[in-house]
Amino acid sequence: GAEEERSETARLSSFVGAIAVGDLIKSTLGPKGMDKILLGGRNGDGVEVTNDGATILKSLGVDNPAAKILVNMSKTQDDEVGDGTTSVTVLAAELLREAEQMMAHKLHPQTIISGWRKACDAARQALESAAIDNSKDTARFREDLMNIARTTLSSKLLTQHRDHFAELAVNAILRLKGSGNLEAIQLIKKLGGLLGDSYLDEGFLLDKKIGAQQPKRIEKAKVLIANTPMDSDKIKVFGSKIKVDAVAKLSELELAEKQKMKAKVEKIVAHGCNVFINRQLIYNYPEQLFSDAGVVSIEHADFEGIERLALVLGGEIVSTFDSPGSVKLGECDLIEEVMIGEDKLIRMSGVPLGEACTIVLRGATQQILDEADRSLHDALRLCRTPRVICGGGCAEALMAVAVSRLAAQTAGKEAIAMEAFARALLQLPTAIADNGGYDSSDLVAQIRASHVAGQSYIGLNMTDGVPADMRQLGITESLRVKRQVLLSAAEAAEMILRVDDILKASPRPRRQEH
Amino acid sequence: MSKAAAKSTAPAKQSKADYEGRSKPSQIRESNIVAAKSVASAIRTSLGPRGMDKMIQEGKGEVTITNDGATILKQMKVIHPAAKMLVELSKAQDIEAGDGTTSVVVLAGSMLEASQKLLSKGIHPTIISESFQRAAARACNILDTLATPVDMTDRQMLMKIASTSLNSKVVSQYSSVLAPIAVNAVLSVCGGPDSVSLNDIRVVKKLGGTVEDTEMIPGLLLDHKTCSSSGGVHRMEKARIGLIQFCISPPKTDMENTVVLNDYTQMDRVLKEERMYILNIVKEIKKAGCNVLFIQKSILRDAVNDLALHFLAKMKILVVKDIERDEVEFICKTLNCRPIASLDHFNPDMLGTAELVEEVQTGSSKITKVTGIQNQGKTMSILVRGSNKLVLDEAERSLHDALCVIRCLVKKKQLIPGGGAPEIELSQQLTAHSNTLAGIEQYCVRAFAQSLEIIPYTLAENAGLNAIQTVTELRNRHANGEKTAGINVRKGAITNILDESVLQPLLVSSSAVSLAAETVRCILKIDDVIQCIRG
Repeated sequence: GAEEERSETARLSSFVGAIAVGDLIKSTLGPKGMDKILLGGRNGDGVEVTNDGATILKSLGVDNPAAKILVNMSKTQDDEVGDGTTSVTVLAAELLREAEQMMAHKLHPQTIISGWRKACDAARQALESAAIDNSKDTARFREDLMNIARTTLSSKLLTQHRDHFAELAVNAILRLKGSGNLEAIQLIKKLGGLLGDSYLDEGFLLDKKIGAQQPKRIEKAKVLIANTPMDSDKIKVFGSKIKVDAVAKLSELELAEKQKMKAKVEKIVAHGCNVFINRQLIYNYPEQLFSDAGVVSIEHADFEGIERLALVLGGEIVSTFDSPGSVKLGECDLIEEVMIGEDKLIRMSGVPLGEACTIVLRGATQQILDEADRSLHDALRLCRTPRVICGGGCAEALMAVAVSRLAAQTAGKEAIAMEAFARALLQLPTAIADNGGYDSSDLVAQIRASHVAGQSYIGLNMTDGVPADMRQLGITESLRVKRQVLLSAAEAAEMILRVDDILKASPRPRRQEH
Repeated sequence: MSKAAAKSTAPAKQSKADYEGRSKPSQIRESNIVAAKSVASAIRTSLGPRGMDKMIQEGKGEVTITNDGATILKQMKVIHPAAKMLVELSKAQDIEAGDGTTSVVVLAGSMLEASQKLLSKGIHPTIISESFQRAAARACNILDTLATPVDMTDRQMLMKIASTSLNSKVVSQYSSVLAPIAVNAVLSVCGGPDSVSLNDIRVVKKLGGTVEDTEMIPGLLLDHKTCSSSGGVHRMEKARIGLIQFCISPPKTDMENTVVLNDYTQMDRVLKEERMYILNIVKEIKKAGCNVLFIQKSILRDAVNDLALHFLAKMKILVVKDIERDEVEFICKTLNCRPIASLDHFNPDMLGTAELVEEVQTGSSKITKVTGIQNQGKTMSILVRGSNKLVLDEAERSLHDALCVIRCLVKKKQLIPGGGAPEIELSQQLTAHSNTLAGIEQYCVRAFAQSLEIIPYTLAENAGLNAIQTVTELRNRHANGEKTAGINVRKGAITNILDESVLQPLLVSSSAVSLAAETVRCILKIDDVIQCIRG
């Protein structure tokens, strides 16, 4: 039947669940954070190694409702800004841990909430006023982007190659020229080689083969992108059937079918293309006809591939071929085969959408490749924001100091909630320092002291374990991520805190079978 | 529940969680390292020319005997996630260099052991990981300085390198046969200055004979027999070869069809028409001057039926059927012909020409050989023979390794000495380098350097030498400046390994060191194992 948990019990179970999730992924935070192995899951018995909060939480089977809220929140963070998925969960969990203490001291949840809201506002203002916007100055902007990419990559597996990958990500993003269309950046993973061998290809790579006996190099290609059956043009009426009374007639019909296919190919060729890329299979016969007409055919490009091709080559996806005039053909300067590792791929260079590019990832194992893919994805998402803020726990300390200052000015119980909010914020640098094996209490206290004294660029230098000026170290993060972390975490914590009753619906009764 | 109770349970839970939080990561790390190390130690004994083989019995009772690290690990059903990563590692080495798949796992195991000691001294895993990364990069630089460039036209030299790779396998006594084959095959398909695709080398294995009978065929080898029904032709000189992708069988439309007969006289007519239809196709083929026909397999209908075979045999056309679609590209490249997808395209200029097409009896089965091809493309076929299935499979794998070694050289034309010499040299130079470093990193780099000594140590151990004595002597010789001193397994002594021509490509060693280091770092950074939900 249905279950109900009330007031104290309900709150307790929420806190316990949320804090457990927070503790689970706390250790992945920061440049010296650890990775997790994910067993089972999507790829059967396969193993996944990751440092990405969203990926870990996504695979986690949680039953606790509060924990589920945190998991969803990190998913939203991933969709919205791409990074900070771990921070947001840890911050929300820390807020709830503080709330638990306050509840024990008989503070009413609503008082805590109103205190948090004010604290959150103050923190956001402090954050935004400290942000730097360099988007006017191209060289500085690029430097900022490099720093952001480097900072986010330094907490991942790619940390040793962060300069290389930051370069890749920034180059790819700058090619987009602010259009922010990440679709145009393609990531191809190829086993073998080293992470350092990954590179940015200015063209577009398609993991397919050119049909047998067709030229492997085409200059000034005009590409027709299609989604059409090239095996046989069947009548799609169910159960259509031919009845004949002689084999000769059957062979005539077979011929007629062939003729139909030939007519289709001729129609396609009439578009004036010299490359034909189809989403579906191309059978031997049409392939031969294409070779005869001097058209290169590429079969079985998957759905995603076709859409991206259409975008990159500036063509449209066609499935009927009756009006050659109105169809927009894709174009590129050169199509050729290239070898990556053991495999051959098709490379298209000189595409009209100059923004398009492909990043080829190489790595020793599938796990490393997958993790590199996820990390680079994060870095790409981040590089779109113009405004930056210092990282390394500096932003959190800044916010914490602003919040405590507000608390000191506030009369009433809300001040206690604000103090708690500030403490929760400082838990992030604490976790980062802890993961690096440094004396967190000492370091965080030092940083806070410098911030109170007005040195608002001091953060953690994780290489040496000392406080340092983040501007000099070039550790910056995107303002958007930080703001989103702050707001979502506060919102989620507030939501969980408001709960005083958990109702578990009874499972739908199974109907008795007679 | 009363408030007091809530108050008392909450802190208790929290403190317990904190406690677990601190002990769990080290347990996980320990278990990962132990699992990975046990994988490494399982295949350790198969390293080197005197290494032992493993017999692997699969679930179905099938048996594989091999010395190849990648194969052993692929067959082993490892469950532990960290152990799986080592399996992946050897696969990656297989892709990257093709050889050294055992060494890379042994190296990784040794590095893990070193890091375990460092961890127990309380060094933070991230620091170990970073130091290892830098040490590995440094190691690759040192390897570069040890390397000597190789001349790709010096076949004698290349053969010696191929033999080094073959020496550790079961088929080592045949290395004089296999090494030249590997060298010639790679060199003849080598297109550009540094591009070579092993897909252009076709290896067909056939039971019977001995490994000595393995040969390279200057032409095309098909693992199919010629069709022999109703007196088919088995040998054709001055062959004109057509590769068809259409079917020689009664017509079939893509739509469902039925032939409706009203009385029995129509039956005769239908049979006759069918004959006529097929005869017509066969005549067209004959008219184009084709006398050898390769037919692509069709899944939708019979590619060729008995009646067609009968006609083809009468017309004296040799037929090979069931060619897979993915083989077409290779055949076309070799024969310099084009696939024919419909009868309308059956022109003489689509055909390939060869001196001789013949069916050859190999043991219990038959294969088809095409020789004397005009304008042959840059492809090569190798026929591997062996007296039993196990030897045959192992011979194929060994040959693949040898091919990869030569390919490595085409990619990166640098050689380093074998026999444990580079590892000892690396270890010494890295140790010297570590003294210039400050702090914990020095300690880690030194441990890394020492872990490299596992290779000569295992080599000596597997060869039945006194491992400690050998390694210490080796160290001594290297310290005195003999950079090329290595373990001569044949003589059981330390000699200048260059005199013995034990050489290996630089790529094999450098990728082994860097790939092993990368995987070890990955394992070190793990602090938790999470069971996922199926999502």
